[in-house]
Amino acid sequence: MNLDDETLMAYADGELEPAQRAEIAAALEKDPALAARVEKHRALRAEVAGAFATVLGDPVPERLRAVAKGSAAPAPRARGNVVQFPTRGNRAPATPWRAREWLAMAASLVLGVVISWRALSPATPQMIAAGNGALAARGALATALDRQLASNQASDAEVSIGLTFKSRGGSYCRSFTLHASGTAGLACRSGDEWRIPVTASADAAGGDFRQAAGSIPSAVMQAIEARIAGDPLAAPEETRARDAAWKPARQP
Amino acid sequence: MTSAPEEISGQLVELLPRLRRFARTLSRNQHDADDLVQSVVERAWRHLDQLKPGANLGSWMFGIMKNAWIDDRRAKSRRGEVALPEDSGEHPAVSPVDSNASLWSVSEAMNKLPEEQRLAVALVLVEGMSYKEASGLLEIPIGTLTSRLARGRSALAAALGDPS
Repeated sequence: MNLDDETLMAYADGELEPAQRAEIAAALEKDPALAARVEKHRALRAEVAGAFATVLGDPVPERLRAVAKGSAAPAPRARGNVVQFPTRGNRAPATPWRAREWLAMAASLVLGVVISWRALSPATPQMIAAGNGALAARGALATALDRQLASNQASDAEVSIGLTFKSRGGSYCRSFTLHASGTAGLACRSGDEWRIPVTASADAAGGDFRQAAGSIPSAVMQAIEARIAGDPLAAPEETRARDAAWKPARQP
Repeated sequence: MTSAPEEISGQLVELLPRLRRFARTLSRNQHDADDLVQSVVERAWRHLDQLKPGANLGSWMFGIMKNAWIDDRRAKSRRGEVALPEDSGEHPAVSPVDSNASLWSVSEAMNKLPEEQRLAVALVLVEGMSYKEASGLLEIPIGTLTSRLARGRSALAAALGDPS
């Protein structure tokens, strides 16, 4: 079956009529190459949406709240660094338009995603640096990614390692949290460094939050889901991978 | 006009995060994006009488933002202020210490797209609109939207590289 890219894209976006949709679903089952093309469309969509999703969780500048309220309602005084999330009561009756998306975002907010100014605190720049068109781990973050095992880390460590897994490309990736800046992210081994495809702010304020099961910000979780092959590594595999200096895993 | 100003003002405040995100997909950095949001909200208040009864305020605002952004780019380009995308590289979209490395790289890639592809990508992939909604807002046929979206996506995929 010869399918053009626009049709596959529309399929991936859920835009086709049921009949055509079923026809393509059947074709995909027989043709892994076609299925891979659809998957690429989905992965790109997730990557682009995930990147900008963080903006929804950023505190809205007071000047914008003031103009939105209109001249009739004088703006309250700026409140410094206090982050004003809309209250649940305000959000619930939101626009009927894209209500599902709002709810999803509200859930992410509860998980403490992205308080952007936190990431500007001094701990981050020395640990994450730009080079060769990508961000890479430096300093204490690079050391932790190289050496630290998720199964055995000090509770007061500067950096926590979350999941370690093999990517579909065979390289190792590890999620991490920088406690000083409240930044969470994903690092993937590339050559002899750790590249960082995504970071998001995790609310590091609560001590309990660190261990909370759902504490990986959604942007980071999406990046993991887009890459992971199989299950995250268990402790013995993690140790072996570290001792082998994170050399790319053989394809299963 | 059926809605009271207080109601509109509450809805506008609720829309701000989404307006900021849409503006951010169109602008090189959050500061420019917020300037765009501000001018759009001001325009909306000035032209509130043009909002048809029963019309969706969100769609109306997105339409105003699309027009404002295009007008702004035309004006800047007449004044020679907008560097062609190929010339860029001097000013990163956000600092590398921005909270989100992915936002940084995706935003750079978005900035290289032609206007019409960027709008299609922003509305469908980022805002999650259906092709029909997006083509309505952009006032283009659905087929045109589809081909712009497809071209924008392949350019983005090339710029971002496949996920490792």
